[in-house]
Amino acid sequence: MGLRDILSGRKKLPGPKDDRLFALTTAAVTMQMELGLKTAGAGAIAFKPQSSGEFRSAFDDVDKLVDAVAQQFGSQVERKSDEYGFDWIVVKDPDLEDLVTTAHTLAAELTAQGFGEQLLAAIFKFDGDQKPVYFIYGFKRGAFWPFVPIGNDKRDNAQELELKAKLEKELPIEQDLTRWLALFDAPL
Amino acid sequence: MKRRSYGRDAGLTMRMILTTGLLGLLYVVFAVVLFQVLNVGLVPMIVIVVAIAFFQYYTSDKLALAAAGAKVVSREQAPQLHDMVERLCAMADLPKPKVAIMDTPVPNAFATGRSPKHAAVCVTTGLWERLEPKEVEGVLAHELSHIANRDVLVMTLASFFAMLAAMLTRFGLYAGMWGGGDRRDNNNGPPVWLIVMLVSMLVYVISYILIRTISRYREYAADRGSALITGAPEYLMSALQKISSQMTLIPNRDLRQVEGMNAFFIIPAKAKGNLAELFMDHPPIEKRLAALSEIAREMGRPVA
Repeated sequence: MGLRDILSGRKKLPGPKDDRLFALTTAAVTMQMELGLKTAGAGAIAFKPQSSGEFRSAFDDVDKLVDAVAQQFGSQVERKSDEYGFDWIVVKDPDLEDLVTTAHTLAAELTAQGFGEQLLAAIFKFDGDQKPVYFIYGFKRGAFWPFVPIGNDKRDNAQELELKAKLEKELPIEQDLTRWLALFDAPL
Repeated sequence: MKRRSYGRDAGLTMRMILTTGLLGLLYVVFAVVLFQVLNVGLVPMIVIVVAIAFFQYYTSDKLALAAAGAKVVSREQAPQLHDMVERLCAMADLPKPKVAIMDTPVPNAFATGRSPKHAAVCVTTGLWERLEPKEVEGVLAHELSHIANRDVLVMTLASFFAMLAAMLTRFGLYAGMWGGGDRRDNNNGPPVWLIVMLVSMLVYVISYILIRTISRYREYAADRGSALITGAPEYLMSALQKISSQMTLIPNRDLRQVEGMNAFFIIPAKAKGNLAELFMDHPPIEKRLAALSEIAREMGRPVA
């Protein structure tokens, strides 16, 4: 947010920071050994499609690439949209590394096509002791945050904060708690 | 990495810089005249005006909400509205502002607050009820862009000298009435208070016009921001059309209640006035729609 943005108004959305996405695969060992969290074999990426024809044609290329990557990894891909006007690409694969790689490929390709600003978040599902635990990567923030829903649009803040404390050294965790966006309706 | 930028509106930027520059020049001239004519007593007055400006700036979110009679609502009271604001903020990488609702059938919205961290966005019940969700999103994104562009800061700075001028006009008037004539200068020129008053009045009128002009440019900038955040300017366009056509249908009693808030609203309460465009703080709806369709066209263009 520079002076020029203030003087003449923002001309573009903040761009994506996808470079720290792979930190999740490195942290996965600690997550499994010390916290008992194992990938549930599902990840998804959410982005805001534009109504312009140019976005649609650029996205066709991204779509094809995702299909190619999925075929290579043997993972399944589903496409969904939600009531907020975001589109989702859901990937099912037992290997966390494949999930992260697919998400990163999609983000990088969308960015290369010039639409990186449309990326919102990637979400990865893990099996915990009793309930599923999610890790959300915010593309605008370039950091992860935990998300533990407990029904009725409520989240288990205590467990989330515990996860933050335990994983902070391994994983870039968003420090501003007000940015820990919830994704209750994530199609995972 | 390719970064795209829509609405690279060089003309708009130039006009904004020009207006801001003119305003700055005017202030410098004003200050010079003041110092020439009034060598003393200026400092305490400026201190007071600065204090008032700071107070206004620091309490702008609460002041505006209280003035509009808007209530801050919790997540439980308006879950859908909160969800919408959250997603839009995430796209724009803004902290989530306070969310408020104003109970009036007039469809409208405004944003306020000195910085993105101390901001509030308010929609009227009329807006929520009469517009489609995607149109509400377009309007909210417009307001969030005001927050991102720090429009309260810009407008506070811009109105600062207008306020000073207004105060001096009054000051000059009182000084004149009480015969402030203990003159050290013994020439036969016009009395000091008269000069100060005339200059102040002139500064006030000119700065008023310039402030309105800046305000109109900020509206275009916020419209462009909305198109960026939602990726779909057509919904803001239909929202603007709906709001403006309904603004004039609704009886004046409601309109007058909210008129003082005009500068902050997405569309001023009196949409169709006979005032010259020069004195309006919002551009005419036709011009905004034209600018938005230009952005919509640009969004469909290949990256240069």
